[in-house]
Amino acid sequence: MTAALQIVFDALSLGGLYALGALGIALIFGVMRLVNFAHGDFIAFCVFAMLWPSINAAAIVFAGNLPFYLLIPVLLLVGAALSMLSEVVVFRRFRNANPATMMIASFALGFVVRHLLLMLYSSRPKSITLWPSLGLPVEIFGARIPMLQVVTIIITVAVLAVLTLFLKRTRYGLEMRAAAENFTMARMLGVRANNVILLAFAISGMLAAAIGLILATNSGTADIGMGANVMLIAFIATVIGGLGSLPGAVAAGFLIGAASVVFQATLPHDLRVFRDAFVYGAVIVVLLVRPQGLFAPKSAKQRV
Amino acid sequence: MTLLAVDDVTVRYGRLTALRGITLAITEGEVLFVTGPNGAGKSTLLNAIAGVVPPISGAITLDGANVTGASPEQIARLGFSLVPEGRNVFAGLTIEENLKVGAGMRIDKHKVAGDLDFVYREFPMLAERRHTAAGMLSGGQQQMLVIGRALMASPRLMAIDEPSLGLAPKIIDQVYDILMRLRAQRTLTLLIVEQSSTRAMMTGGRMILMRGGRIVLEGDARDMVKDKALKQAYFGFGDH
Amino acid sequence: MSQRPSVMWRTIATPIVLIVVLLAIAALSYQFGSRAFNRTVVEMLINIMVVTGLYVFVGNSGLLSFGHISFMCLGAYMTAWLTIPPMMKSVTLKGLPTWLLHAQLPMWVATPISGALAALFALVVGRVIMRLSGIAASIATFGLLGVVNNVYSNWDSVTGGQGSIVGIPPTMNVWVGWLGAAVAIAIAYLYSISRSGLALRATRDEAVAASASGIDIVRERLIAFVVSAFIIGLAGALYAHFLSIVNPGAFYLRTTFITLSMLVVGGMYSLTGAVTGVVVISAAIELFRNLEKGISLDGLTLAIPNGVQEIAIGIITIVILMFMPTGLTRNRELSLSGWPRRRRLLQPVQPALKESN
Repeated sequence: MTAALQIVFDALSLGGLYALGALGIALIFGVMRLVNFAHGDFIAFCVFAMLWPSINAAAIVFAGNLPFYLLIPVLLLVGAALSMLSEVVVFRRFRNANPATMMIASFALGFVVRHLLLMLYSSRPKSITLWPSLGLPVEIFGARIPMLQVVTIIITVAVLAVLTLFLKRTRYGLEMRAAAENFTMARMLGVRANNVILLAFAISGMLAAAIGLILATNSGTADIGMGANVMLIAFIATVIGGLGSLPGAVAAGFLIGAASVVFQATLPHDLRVFRDAFVYGAVIVVLLVRPQGLFAPKSAKQRV
Repeated sequence: MTLLAVDDVTVRYGRLTALRGITLAITEGEVLFVTGPNGAGKSTLLNAIAGVVPPISGAITLDGANVTGASPEQIARLGFSLVPEGRNVFAGLTIEENLKVGAGMRIDKHKVAGDLDFVYREFPMLAERRHTAAGMLSGGQQQMLVIGRALMASPRLMAIDEPSLGLAPKIIDQVYDILMRLRAQRTLTLLIVEQSSTRAMMTGGRMILMRGGRIVLEGDARDMVKDKALKQAYFGFGDH
Repeated sequence: MSQRPSVMWRTIATPIVLIVVLLAIAALSYQFGSRAFNRTVVEMLINIMVVTGLYVFVGNSGLLSFGHISFMCLGAYMTAWLTIPPMMKSVTLKGLPTWLLHAQLPMWVATPISGALAALFALVVGRVIMRLSGIAASIATFGLLGVVNNVYSNWDSVTGGQGSIVGIPPTMNVWVGWLGAAVAIAIAYLYSISRSGLALRATRDEAVAASASGIDIVRERLIAFVVSAFIIGLAGALYAHFLSIVNPGAFYLRTTFITLSMLVVGGMYSLTGAVTGVVVISAAIELFRNLEKGISLDGLTLAIPNGVQEIAIGIITIVILMFMPTGLTRNRELSLSGWPRRRRLLQPVQPALKESN
C-alpha cells in the first residue's frame, strides 16, 4: 500500500513538472503558432539568476539568499521579464514569418542564452542549497514522501487552477483564448495583439521560473543543461496532447510522468537503465495510433 | 455627414495589385452595397478599411480621423466593425463568450449588459444556446452570431462580407431583416459586400460595382440592378 | 520519362559548378595551406555533407528537422565499431556483439555501411514521424535528437557512455573530404530532379493540391528523410575518421544549431544555399576562433572572451532571418550563365507547415 502511494506521489510530482513545461510551450504556441525552443534555456537562466557569475563549483549565491517570500516573486519576475524581452526584441519581428523561420529563431535564441550562461558560469554544475528542509520526508498514510514532492504537486495544481480561472473568467483570459483561435478576427474586435502576446510570454516565463526553482531545490545544483531534460519531455507532451490544446498538453505531461514512474517501478532490475527508452517507445505507440494527438482542438482545419 | 472616406487607395499583395485608386465616401446612416465578380477586390476593400492590409498609397479617414495604416484594433476602437467572409466564430468559445469578446474594448462598460440583452432579444436562437460552443452551431446560427458579436463592439459603421454565402434563402431573409432593423434602431451605417444583386435591389440603398480592383459604376442600387444591359456586361453570370 | 534529360541539361550546371569550386578550394588548401588550415577545410567539407543532407529533407519538404545530427551520431559510432582495432574494443566496449568486436574494416567499406545504418534507422523512425502534421513532425525530430543522445550517453557498454571512444584510424584529408562532399552534392541533386523530389516540393508549396493530385505525402517525406539520413550518416563516418574519437556530446545541440544555421543563412530551399551557408558560417567561425586566440599588436594581445563565437553565430542567424528570410542566396541556384538565374524558384509560402496543429 505504501509502495503504491509512493508511486502515486512520484507520478504526480514528475507529471506535474512535465505538465508545467508543456503548458509554457502550449501557451505561446496558441497565440503565435511559435514553438519556443528557448524555453529550456529560460529555465536555466532563471536558476542562474540567483548566482553571481563565477566559474567556481561552489556558487556564490546572492539573490538566492533572500527569504522565500521575496525570492519566489523575484524569480517569477525574472522569468517573465526575460520572456517578454525575447518577444519584444526577437519574436515580434517574426510575427508573420513562416513557422520554420520562427522555430529556428527560437532555437537560435536558446543557443545564445545557453552560451551566454556558459561564458559567465562555465559548464561546471554549481551546488546551491535552497530550503533544505523540503528534502525531509513527510508522513502521509504511512508512506514517507519527500516534502518537496508534495510542494511540487500543490504548486502544479495551484498553477493550473489559477490559470484556468484566469482564462475562463477574466477579460484578458477570454481575449487570449479568442486570439488563439483566430488572431486576426480577435484584432478586428479590438483585442490588442501586442498585449495578448506579451501576456502569454509573461505567463510562460513565470512557468519557466517555477520549474527552475523546483529543479534547483530538488537537485541541489545549478547546471546549464538542467532545463533540457524536462523540456525534451515537455515538447513530446505537447505533440501527444495535440498541438494547440492546453488541456491536452497538461494531460499528456501527467501521462508521460506516470508512465515513466510506472516503468521505473515495474521494469526488471537490469532493464531499469533503459527506462527512458521504454517511455519513448510508449510515445511512439501513441503517435502511431493517433498522430494528431490525444486532444486535437475543435478548430482543426483541413490538415495534410 | 461623411463617416468613412477612402481616397485614392491602392493595395498590393506582393506583385498583385488588388485595389487601384479606389475613392469612395459613406455617409452616416446609409446602406452601401459593394458588388462585382470574383476577384474584383471587394473583400480586399473591406480588409483595407479594417486595417488588416495596409494601403500602398492613398488615405482612409474614419469619422474624421486618419486611419491609413492603423492596426485593426485601433480602427475597431474608432467605431468600425468588420464581419469577414466565412462566419469566423471562435469555435471553442461559447456563444456568450463570443459575444463578450467584442465588448472587451468598450469604454461604456455599463451599457454592455444592456447590449447583450438586446442581442439575445434580436437573435432568440442564440439566447437559447448561450453556453453552447460556437463550433456546434449551424451556418445560419453562426451568421447571426458573428453579426451579434460585431454589434457588441458598438460600431457606428458595420461592414459585412457576403452575408448570404452558403445560407438558405429563408435564413438570408432573416439576416437582412435583422440588419435593417438594427440600422433603424441603432443608427448603424452598413457597408455590405453582396454578390446577389436581387438582395441589393430588395433592400435598396447605394451600390458600387467593382471590377479588376477598380470601381466601375456607382449609383442607386435599384436603378443599377434594373438596367439589364449593364448587368449582362459586368455580371456575366446572370441573375441570382 | 522523356522530360528528364532536358531537366538535367538545364540544371546540371549547379552541382557541377559547386563541385568544381570545392575542388579548387581543396587543391589550394592542400598546396598552400598550413596543417591547421587543412583541418579547417576538411571540417568544412564534412559540414557541407551534413548541410546538403539536411537540405535534401528540409529544402524539399518544407519541414524543419532538428534531429538530423542523430544520424551523424549513428554513422560515426557505426564507423567506430567497424574500424577500431578489435583489441581496443574488447577493453572499452565489452557490450558489443562478437562479430562487431572482431570486425576491422577499411574506411571505404565502413563508411557506406555507416550511411546505410543511418538510413535504415531513418526508415524505421520516419514511418512514425512523417505521419505527424508539419510542426508536430519538427518537434518530434527534436525529440529524436534527445532520445538518441540519451541512449548513446547511457549505454556504456556499447557506446562508452558520455566519454569518448578512441582509436578510429585518422584517414581523413582534403581529398577524401572533397570526395565526400561531391558524393553528397551528387546524391542531393539526383534526388531533387527525381520524380519523388518533384512530388515532395509540390507538397511543400501547396499541400492540399498536391494531395488531391494523388501524391502520397507521407511516402515522399519518408523517402527524403531516408536519403538525407544516408548522406548525413556518411558525414558522421568521415567525421569519426577526422577526429579519431567519438562522443555523444559532439552530436547534440551545438552541432544541430550550427548546421541548421548554415542551411538557413545560405538559403533553406536551394542546394547552392546549403553549400554557400556552410562556407560563409565556416569562415565566420574561423574568424571568431582567431579573434578568441587573440591578435598580437606590439606585444599586447587583443582577444575576445571565449564563448563569444557561439553567441555571435546565434545573433547573426537571428539577424539574417529577420532581414533576409530566404537566406543569402535568396533560394536561387548557381549556374554557368552567372548569378542569379532568371528561372526563379518561387518563394514557398510553406503551406506544409501552415496548419492549425
